[in-house]
Amino acid sequence: MLAKLRGPLADGAALPALLAAFAVGAIVLAIGGIDPITGYSALINGVFEETNLPYVVAALAPVLGMAVSFAIPFRMQEFNLGGDGQLVIGGITGAGVALALPDWGLLTFALAALAAALAGGLLAAISAPLLLRGRVPVIISTLLLGFPAVSLASYLARYPLADEGSGTPQTERLPVDMRLPSLGDWSPYVNTGLIVILLVFVAYWVVDARTTTGLDLRVVGANPRFGRYAGVNVPSLLTLSLAASGAIAGLVGALLVAAPPYRFIDGALTVPGYTFTGVTVAMLSRGRPAALFAAALLFTALQVGGTGMERDVGVPRQLTAIIQASVVITFVVIVAARSRRARAKAGLR
Amino acid sequence: MTEPPRLRAAGLTRRFGPLVANDAVDLDLHAGQIHALVGENGAGKSTLMSLLYGLQRPDDGHIESRGERVAYASPRDAIADGVGMVHQHFQLFDSLSVADNVVYGAEPVRAGGIIDRRRARAEVAELITGYGSHLPVDATVGELPMGLRQQVEILKALYRGADVLILDEPTAVLTPAETDLLFTSLRRLAAGGAVVVLVTHKLDEVMAVSSWVTVMRRGAVVASLPTAETSAAALAEAMTGRSIVPVTNESETAATETVLTLTDLRVTADGARTEIRVEELTVCRGEIVGIAGVTGNGQSEVVQAVVGLRPCRGAVSLNGVRVDGLDVRRRRGAGIAYVPEDRRGVGTAPQLSIADNVAVGQRRGFGWLSPRRSGAAAHRLIERHDVRGGGPGTPVAALSGGNAQKVVIARELGHDADLLIAENPTQGVDIGAIEYIHGELLAYRNRGRSVLLVSNELTELCALADRVYVMVDGRVVAEIPRSGMSEQSIGAAMTNAGDRHAG
Repeated sequence: MLAKLRGPLADGAALPALLAAFAVGAIVLAIGGIDPITGYSALINGVFEETNLPYVVAALAPVLGMAVSFAIPFRMQEFNLGGDGQLVIGGITGAGVALALPDWGLLTFALAALAAALAGGLLAAISAPLLLRGRVPVIISTLLLGFPAVSLASYLARYPLADEGSGTPQTERLPVDMRLPSLGDWSPYVNTGLIVILLVFVAYWVVDARTTTGLDLRVVGANPRFGRYAGVNVPSLLTLSLAASGAIAGLVGALLVAAPPYRFIDGALTVPGYTFTGVTVAMLSRGRPAALFAAALLFTALQVGGTGMERDVGVPRQLTAIIQASVVITFVVIVAARSRRARAKAGLR
Repeated sequence: MTEPPRLRAAGLTRRFGPLVANDAVDLDLHAGQIHALVGENGAGKSTLMSLLYGLQRPDDGHIESRGERVAYASPRDAIADGVGMVHQHFQLFDSLSVADNVVYGAEPVRAGGIIDRRRARAEVAELITGYGSHLPVDATVGELPMGLRQQVEILKALYRGADVLILDEPTAVLTPAETDLLFTSLRRLAAGGAVVVLVTHKLDEVMAVSSWVTVMRRGAVVASLPTAETSAAALAEAMTGRSIVPVTNESETAATETVLTLTDLRVTADGARTEIRVEELTVCRGEIVGIAGVTGNGQSEVVQAVVGLRPCRGAVSLNGVRVDGLDVRRRRGAGIAYVPEDRRGVGTAPQLSIADNVAVGQRRGFGWLSPRRSGAAAHRLIERHDVRGGGPGTPVAALSGGNAQKVVIARELGHDADLLIAENPTQGVDIGAIEYIHGELLAYRNRGRSVLLVSNELTELCALADRVYVMVDGRVVAEIPRSGMSEQSIGAAMTNAGDRHAG
């Protein structure tokens, strides 16, 4: 089933899915006794309100980053569902390395971010030999490896790297010089991390559209037997794509640690649900770069706008989670229905 | 007044969306006829047969059986009316006996609904004798050769009382000797008053066995006449709408340098069959070397071992250098191009565009890919090889079989490798495309390149190959030079080896 989401059956299924999801949201609003028009205008206001816009821009970085992270192996039909684990391992590694090294300012942080990417990449890459030698599907192994990874990070934040005085499971704050500089004087949350993620996104776009590696990924995703026949080294491509995927997730973790409150707090990286939002974005756009960026913008706006709606008209921001989930469900239903129709048609011949 | 036809199609029309698969088709099938139905892919033969067998219902027109109008709601109705069909892919239970397979679904029962196995066995044994066969009634079907399995399929239809027998490409899986045997049986059935419908694209077989032939093109019947009044060339022309000049290899090869050498190659086969072994096989520069054999005798495993898709033991040398330790990419780099048998499953990524399908494996520079340049390359390929049905951005899935095959062949020819391996390159493609593909292979050889041509079409091998190896049951059983090559000599090599094996 999951494989079909990448096929031509998914062409043009995103827009009806979005419309259906907003319809579902409207029904939920109406049941709650709120005029859907009022609700949705509050949602839109929530996005564009002057105080909220910086949060939209700030949240775009992790959502886009996690979407690219998921999209890379997704292009070859492998599902990295361990994004949370890789994100958290990246965060704790970033914080740990930054605090352990001498304070050379942003240079230290760059090294820490590099270490974070390495840690995330290694964690994800484990799934390659697990598939190739152990026949454990990537979707399973990445998901399962996420749990010990999150626990390990939690342990590190509570004991060896804990901020002794605070009592909460968190590391010490990063020294001032290592914190990511803000972009303009909008908000400390809008920082150079966004630039880094945009560069990562551009790199993804270039590799996808302009290199043989990108073509190999798509070819193996479309037909692995054709890939092997044409001489693509599938095992190394798998390892490479998982490593890149995990590395980007790890990098996102490090960048989040260098934004307010400038420390690793147990659970803080996973609670906003960047990973799942990224998965949704990547799936809806089928990993296509331009669509991926648009979808990342939309879902970031939804998430932040929900907060505005909650404040203005008293609708819990979980409504946006309902919309988000409805998009995915409708999308899957459309693809499933098309696939059934295609099969029925093929049976006729 | 003459007797009405046993089965008649009267103005049958069947549409699939905008496509008219059958356009007011008339067909008269008389008792005692062996009626050949020929046409290119997509001409509407399969649709017509589906209509006559009750698999599909016509949008217009009707069917008459013994002069009376009938409407088959399903194959069950057609079978009850005496219409039987033998599909190209057999529908048999491999683990059951011949008798069980024949009676399955129509078992004789005793009181209380208990299957009367003794009666079933006796009835089937009698049927086999009547058919003029020596098929062992208790043999397990999975252990029988293809020719005998096909007999089981035919007997299944006869057991249900079929006097109209439709066979879809029946000789595709048979050796020449098995084909002869089939034809003898079909003639006997027709002489006994049955109608035999032969759906095929092999015109020499049409000429050899049929008494009447109907040609379809683009959903319509374009000719229907006694076989004695036509010729293979005239039929080819009727099928394609233009005259076809068959390509043959006429120049001598001056084979000196060896390009490919296989020495004591051992490959593990799929399924239960024992190891495949090739003691020695060579391909020289400027040579087309054929591997003849019925599909499933180890040819594809050998090819996969040569290109690096299947592990093997023994030596594979290209231009005198061992390549058996290399991966597919390096072997391709060393000078192997490969047209696989399964073009949709292996030879292309059907969802991707022609441009992407052509660009894969073209490695120049540092791995940069220019969409503009690969689009232009695809465009040139489309122009040069006359690929119809789309441009560089069209997904390969949208092309017809023959045009998809042209894309694969053009891409592999374009590598300009020392050795081109082509596996049944003309299977399932139109006559026009066959002519084209044969011409390209021959031109490749004449440029001083080498071709290893695996084929189960003996006519194809006889037309093109300088030398043929015959494979039976995972072994090379004969090597035949062009001077001694004929369908008879290749067929004899297969049969002798098969007999020796059985004995």
